Amino acid sequence: MTSTLDRAAPRARAAQPGPRGRPWLYLVPLVLALGVWVYGPLLWTGVLSLLDWNLISPNPEFVGVDNFVAVFGRPETTNALVRTGYYVLGMLPFATVIPMTLAILLWRRPGRAADGYRALLFSPVVLAPVATAISWQFLLSPQQGLVNTVLSGVGLPAPNWLGDPRTALPVIVLVTAGKIVALNMLLFSAALAGVDRRAIDAARIDGATEWETTRFIVLPQMLRTIALLSALCVIVAGQWVFTNVAALTRGGPDGATDNIYYRLYTEGFDFFDAGSASALAVAITLALALLFGAAALWNRRRSRA
Amino acid sequence: MRELRWHTTLLVTGLAVSFPLVWALLTSFRPQNAIFEIGPSPVSVANYVDAVTLFPIGRLLLNSFVTALGVTALQLLVAVLAAYAMLSLGARSLRWVLGAVTVSLVVPLQAMVIPQFLIATGLGWRDSYVGLIVPQLASCGLAVLLMWEHTRSIPKNLLGAAAIDGARPAETLWHLVLPQLRPGLGAVGILVFVTTWNEYLWPALIAPSPTNTTIQQGLALFNNQEGGNPGPLLAASVLACAPVLAVYAIFSRRITAAFLQAGRR
Repeated sequence: MTSTLDRAAPRARAAQPGPRGRPWLYLVPLVLALGVWVYGPLLWTGVLSLLDWNLISPNPEFVGVDNFVAVFGRPETTNALVRTGYYVLGMLPFATVIPMTLAILLWRRPGRAADGYRALLFSPVVLAPVATAISWQFLLSPQQGLVNTVLSGVGLPAPNWLGDPRTALPVIVLVTAGKIVALNMLLFSAALAGVDRRAIDAARIDGATEWETTRFIVLPQMLRTIALLSALCVIVAGQWVFTNVAALTRGGPDGATDNIYYRLYTEGFDFFDAGSASALAVAITLALALLFGAAALWNRRRSRA
Repeated sequence: MRELRWHTTLLVTGLAVSFPLVWALLTSFRPQNAIFEIGPSPVSVANYVDAVTLFPIGRLLLNSFVTALGVTALQLLVAVLAAYAMLSLGARSLRWVLGAVTVSLVVPLQAMVIPQFLIATGLGWRDSYVGLIVPQLASCGLAVLLMWEHTRSIPKNLLGAAAIDGARPAETLWHLVLPQLRPGLGAVGILVFVTTWNEYLWPALIAPSPTNTTIQQGLALFNNQEGGNPGPLLAASVLACAPVLAVYAIFSRRITAAFLQAGRR
């Protein structure tokens, strides 16, 4: 990277490419932006997690770790944690296998048709999430929705998709899936750009089938991306579904579609319990920091080996 | 045969993921008493008329537009200045800046949102454009990283020569760096615009009233208020998607390229 260049040519400083003299002056907007809207709030969340406060009263009370004890003692929190795990498991195929298959299919036959399909498959990313949610809400409407009309037309049971605790979470996963498939398909396409097509042609000449070239030449080069996207899924699956949970079920029925991020939102802005919400936020941030630290360490060890 | 299978797989998946919007589009033009019926029906714009009269759709779209444009402009400004400054940072300070920016991208929005809300309301920014726009600088990290990728690929001797010729930093930035960044600015701009347009949580908190919020939160409010009245809601949903979809139809290649670059980070 640039670091070696910098060290190798200290005399080039006089003709350095960036602003001379006071480069930090140009960094002030960035420092302000992150300071005021990211790191400041993060610290403040840390402080709030130690207070008993309803967001309005003039004198919040210091309660130490009581918020953590209280919030993690609640069955709703345990439920939200478990559900977050379900979301991760449910989203995993849509974050890895399915987008990878689509990306490989598109990559196999480049051309106009592939470009067209790619544009179509990517469209969920640019669609307004609430609009898609509203559309689903009517498609899945228990009495009149298209889905149930078709199902009962062929003699299958017609469940109350969003109102039944057993079906609500899978439905949220499916509704969110389109967007994640689209985004990750693009990432797999990027990884595929690094695969040498000549190796495949050579294997074909030697009599390998399409499946064999995929299995033994393409797939091994996808492993890194699969690992990366699985890790990402574990970390952010709960955030991916947030808008759909808010728009379609509000965590219900009976907490069936809750997750830890939606729980935090509920504690803070439905119950005005800044302490509990912040305690959850601190716990989530610490957990994420640990996960990222572990991932970075694992990555470093792998690249050294 | 194999080619046919290829086409079927991709077409079916493509239709499946775009189905909700296609259905909303077709259904929104049905007469209101035939929303849930199957089969052909006369075309009617009654749902659109209702959507526009029952809810300030125009105003909401304008709000979304101003917000997305404002956030895009602000983030690009911060990103260009920062990316330019990063060119002359030493290796160690550079690592610090990149680290701080990357971490800011990983922190979940929900973990910062209460203090952000307190700061913004404390400044009297509730239900205002400033309130909708400025705090969304929190997500400027991505724009900074992407702009940095662009500035560091500008030939170093070009900028070095300008410095030797005695050009002041501001002049170099304006006359040399910015023209080089134009394609990058476009791509990052589109990315920020689309993400801001589709943002849900922050507008819901800072601008909760139906005339001052963005189309996303507006749709959610409209849904609570008119939940039993599907026709106008679907029409409103179509209208909410239309602007971004139009931009996408024109620039689809550039947009996928922009998201691709962002995803690589």
